[in-house]
Amino acid sequence: MATRQKTSAAADRQGVRDAVVVGGNRVPFSRAGKKYADASNQEMFTAALEGLVARFGLQGERLGEAVGGAVLKHSRDFNLVRESVLGSSLSPATPAFDLQQACATGLEATINVANKIRLGQIESGVAGGSDTVSDAPIAVSEGLRRALLEVQHAKTWQARAKALAAIRPGDLKPLVPATDEPRTGLSMGEHQAITTARWGIAREAQDEIALASHQHLAAAWESGFFDDLVTPFRGLTRDDNLRADTSLEKLASLKPVFGRSLEAPATMTAGNSTPLTDGASTVLLGSREWAESHDLPVLARVVDAETAAVDFVHGHEGLLMAPVHAVPRLLARNGLTLDDIDFFEIHEAFASTVLTTLAAWEDADYGKNELGLPGAFGTVDRTKINVNGSSLAAGHPFAATGGRIVATAAKLVAQRAAETGEPARALISVCAAGGLGATAVVESV
Amino acid sequence: MTAEPLRTTDGAALRVETQPSLPGLGGLYARGAAASGRIAAGRALPSLPIIGTGRTASDRPADHAAGGDLLTLPDVAYRVPGVTTADLARHLHEYQRLLHEPVGDVLPAGYLHVLVFPLATAVMVRGDFPLPLLGMVHLRNVVELRGPVRLGDVLEVRAWAENLRAHRRGVQVDLVTEIRPDDAKGNPDPLWRGVSTYLAKGFELPGSRSSTSGAGEVPRGYDSATAGTTSRGETWLPPLPTGRWALGPGTGRAYGAVSGDRNPIHLSALSAKAFGFPRAIAHGMYTAARALADVGHVRGDAYRWTVEFAKPVLLPGTVDMAITPETDGFAYVGWNARRHRQHFSGAVTPL
Repeated sequence: MATRQKTSAAADRQGVRDAVVVGGNRVPFSRAGKKYADASNQEMFTAALEGLVARFGLQGERLGEAVGGAVLKHSRDFNLVRESVLGSSLSPATPAFDLQQACATGLEATINVANKIRLGQIESGVAGGSDTVSDAPIAVSEGLRRALLEVQHAKTWQARAKALAAIRPGDLKPLVPATDEPRTGLSMGEHQAITTARWGIAREAQDEIALASHQHLAAAWESGFFDDLVTPFRGLTRDDNLRADTSLEKLASLKPVFGRSLEAPATMTAGNSTPLTDGASTVLLGSREWAESHDLPVLARVVDAETAAVDFVHGHEGLLMAPVHAVPRLLARNGLTLDDIDFFEIHEAFASTVLTTLAAWEDADYGKNELGLPGAFGTVDRTKINVNGSSLAAGHPFAATGGRIVATAAKLVAQRAAETGEPARALISVCAAGGLGATAVVESV
Repeated sequence: MTAEPLRTTDGAALRVETQPSLPGLGGLYARGAAASGRIAAGRALPSLPIIGTGRTASDRPADHAAGGDLLTLPDVAYRVPGVTTADLARHLHEYQRLLHEPVGDVLPAGYLHVLVFPLATAVMVRGDFPLPLLGMVHLRNVVELRGPVRLGDVLEVRAWAENLRAHRRGVQVDLVTEIRPDDAKGNPDPLWRGVSTYLAKGFELPGSRSSTSGAGEVPRGYDSATAGTTSRGETWLPPLPTGRWALGPGTGRAYGAVSGDRNPIHLSALSAKAFGFPRAIAHGMYTAARALADVGHVRGDAYRWTVEFAKPVLLPGTVDMAITPETDGFAYVGWNARRHRQHFSGAVTPL
């Protein structure tokens, strides 16, 4: 039955045309409160979009759709992407919509645009995302909010006075957005610390991942890999979280910040966790025909995508483990195994996220009981993971990370295919708040 | 009404007194405080026979065997028919928001406890109830909900006290409350049944001194001397948490406002100090109901919900908690991560 479904799913997709990645553009990512301290989501996303337009000569072009979003979003930004389109030199006839899937926003936007292209609904589109922690919206307390709403709804001045009188001094304290999971009250770092403890991931292994991320990203910048993927913004030309000169010694000297109340030793530090970051990214996608008719390059095609979600509320699974479930399904549906993948882009929410993902895939019991496989899912060749660095070094402006990774992965497979003459594939895996995960495969063309 | 014979769990007959409506809690606390004062006065002045309905162990010599009926429970069950819920929407939704329950028209088991708690309290403030309301410690609570109760349902509520028995540190008693649909079908089985066990410290059952050790009656970690250890004396190792509650200083006041349970130990540090607590403490049922809400929809419409209270949660405070899937439901435990002490533990089991 499963085989038949697989065959049928594969057969169905044969009639679907390819969606290809033409290129990407982002602003350098900046640590919160620094260069982009007063830049809004719309300003950053418009800058990233305008850089994309300039790079591919899209001035006045009517694209099929622009899709993106922000995780920390003010209610005034309800049409963030549409407003950014109107502020860009794209044709104002380019439709747009906002979506949001926490840290998977950018990848989910890419999947949406690619699917519309594959279905023939649009010929071209932009996917992306923007996030700012520096310029985050601040909310009023629930008590003040309810009182103010009641004042608005009140018809008489007595009723207004009564509503205002209900405000208590404690209600005046502003609510700053937090990364706590609403259902558990635990921050994402605390959740991952629990998963880290459950899998027994060592501090040293996490620091090695962090070091590799910085070294790889620094090398990629040095080699010019990002020259056609990034446009300077507000005087910043490179990701300012990058520490090319960091070392295992420096990373080892940092004090743990998450998991300090657990029985297991705390291992997660500011060095092996992503910092709060501001930034925006975009990816340009189209049909092959559209790219060809516009004389645009083609880096890769979007093969397929799979999302997953896990029950972390009842402690069944770790908050950031959803991609672990999505990837086996994604690969199986496409007749692929881990050995068919040349590049693994595993979003480094924390260094230990990468390590718990790998550990779960290598565990036979987990493979059987959680993934429904005959045994362990498999082992990933460590040299294929995040070869040009990832979020630990670049930073992680939540909704902007997906676009950064898609553009990087597409360019990596294009380069590899050009070098070897063989097709190359990249697997993208992004974990997200709410026990969510989005994954995708891109392949050279 | 048809005066069907009503009996306690161990078969003692109860006189049913039908009340016109559920009492308000505010007045009951005033009466409870007065009664507590009377009982306290009785403890201080044991020679006054009319008010000496309770005795502390120190008041009497160990061989004082007389007056075996000094501590007896009222043989009365309160019954209130025709309890309407149609006008409770706003109150229900306030409760649901406070306890992190999904907002809707189904009354969670914890809300039903809030609804019937005044009737149980009315039993406890009767002149012939032998223990003081104020100062009693909520040890455990067991609730069985057999099916959904919805806004608009008309209910019949019953409450009585039973099973007065010894506890290592005093006397414990069960307050039983039952809810049935008031639909003239004479439903023999309740839709909701709650058993709240309270401890009155320092009291003693006549002739039961030797049997008051009852280790099994003591929730794990209840006694400060054994807190942080299991009943076998092993150090308790907290599991990996699945959640963390940051409880602000107003937690007790907020639940007090919604539940009507404005026991002074929950309201402010000052009023709690009068009862020997360093700061205000969270309502036990607030913590149990938060845990029930954390278990969420998987509990279904019919479930058994239990809680054993250990060390009280001082406010403001942080409670680490873990929900663990079991074969037939979920176990939960809440603790103080810094002190390795359990606050409460329990289970939610679909029925």
